[in-house]
Amino acid sequence: MTCDDARLLIGAEPAGATAALEEHLQSCAACRQFREQMRALDADIRRALERPPEIAVVRAPHAARPRPATRPAAWRQWALAASVVLALFAVMALWLLRPGESLARDVVAHVQAEPESWLATQHVDAAGIDAALKGAGVELGINSDKIMYAQSCWFRGHYVPHLVVETARGPATVMILRHEQVSGRREFHEAGMTGVIVPAGTGSIAVLARGAGNIDDIAGSMQQEVRWLPQKS
Amino acid sequence: MRNSQPESPVSSMSTRLSGADAPAPVTELFESMRPDLLRFAHWLARDRALAEDIVQESLLRAWRSRDALKDPGAARAWLLTIVRREHARLYERKRLELVSLDEAVETHAGPRPAEPDGDLFTLRHAIMRLPIEYREPLVLQILGGFSTEEIARELALTPTAVLTRLFRARNKLRVLCGMTAAADGAGSEGAP
Repeated sequence: MTCDDARLLIGAEPAGATAALEEHLQSCAACRQFREQMRALDADIRRALERPPEIAVVRAPHAARPRPATRPAAWRQWALAASVVLALFAVMALWLLRPGESLARDVVAHVQAEPESWLATQHVDAAGIDAALKGAGVELGINSDKIMYAQSCWFRGHYVPHLVVETARGPATVMILRHEQVSGRREFHEAGMTGVIVPAGTGSIAVLARGAGNIDDIAGSMQQEVRWLPQKS
Repeated sequence: MRNSQPESPVSSMSTRLSGADAPAPVTELFESMRPDLLRFAHWLARDRALAEDIVQESLLRAWRSRDALKDPGAARAWLLTIVRREHARLYERKRLELVSLDEAVETHAGPRPAEPDGDLFTLRHAIMRLPIEYREPLVLQILGGFSTEEIARELALTPTAVLTRLFRARNKLRVLCGMTAAADGAGSEGAP
């Protein structure tokens, strides 16, 4: 069995197991890791399918509201326009004033979507770290032998460095968010993780670790170690 | 195949559920599965109101052909099959007004109501964005509990084609959730 064959079977049925697949997995660490990732993803898919999101994307003709035969009165059109403008203002106001909790929630969701990030057992080489930082306009002073995972991830409309750093209290996720300003330190606890988002440079840095505990020291260290480069015009 | 009446999932069982003999248990059995059917239909149709219509019509069809159900233990799979076919039938018979999912999601892209399990928000929307040819086997497998061979029979595909679609569905979800795509060495699906 080739790796392609194994990954097709794993991707199609992550919980499945055949003798040939198990034999291949015994000698292929990469495919074993792939199966772990797919099983973690599958558990999330199963949870996600328990409740569909409340969005309407398809409408049956019979569900459509009948259109009025005559043109609506002018005052109705003005009222509709005013309503749309007011709604836009309301949405803009809510968007601008949205709480930092939504940023924290997005950070947690992103980390949960990459469960393999905390499973890395080998350090990332310098080229891997450079690739993760590329385009983000930052440099790291941290010793590269502490970084176990480094990816450039699409997050809230930008590519941001997503790192997992080895610390005394275990692996900690660090996301360098150049485009996310926060007014002050924000701590959060969600999905069994403790996180903190701190202002840094022109943006912020998010740090997450499993379990409870104080991670301010990690955040403080990252504030010192991240160097913000001038943005290209 | 899609528009044919579902065959009895278990034909060798001697126990029969006769609507005339025991209407109440059958009704209760069907009604007890309504939440499952609704969730299943919702993931297929991507619209709550449409899903309710599909389930209502499906239960009606199931009631009419209740004598074909030989084993109450197979009722869930039997009903899910009816729902899937009813959904397919709806698309074949009616022209639906399709709205881009990106557009629909964009409408909701502003501050969204708090969800108790907000961490799954991204994944739910990623599943909704999957094309029907990938979403349908995935939902049949995970929500319906159907095997690859059963999905292949239901969708008139080869088992290999089903495996390929399931692989690609999960691979697309990896990408839509920000993970790296696995190499797709699945090749073509092959003819059914």
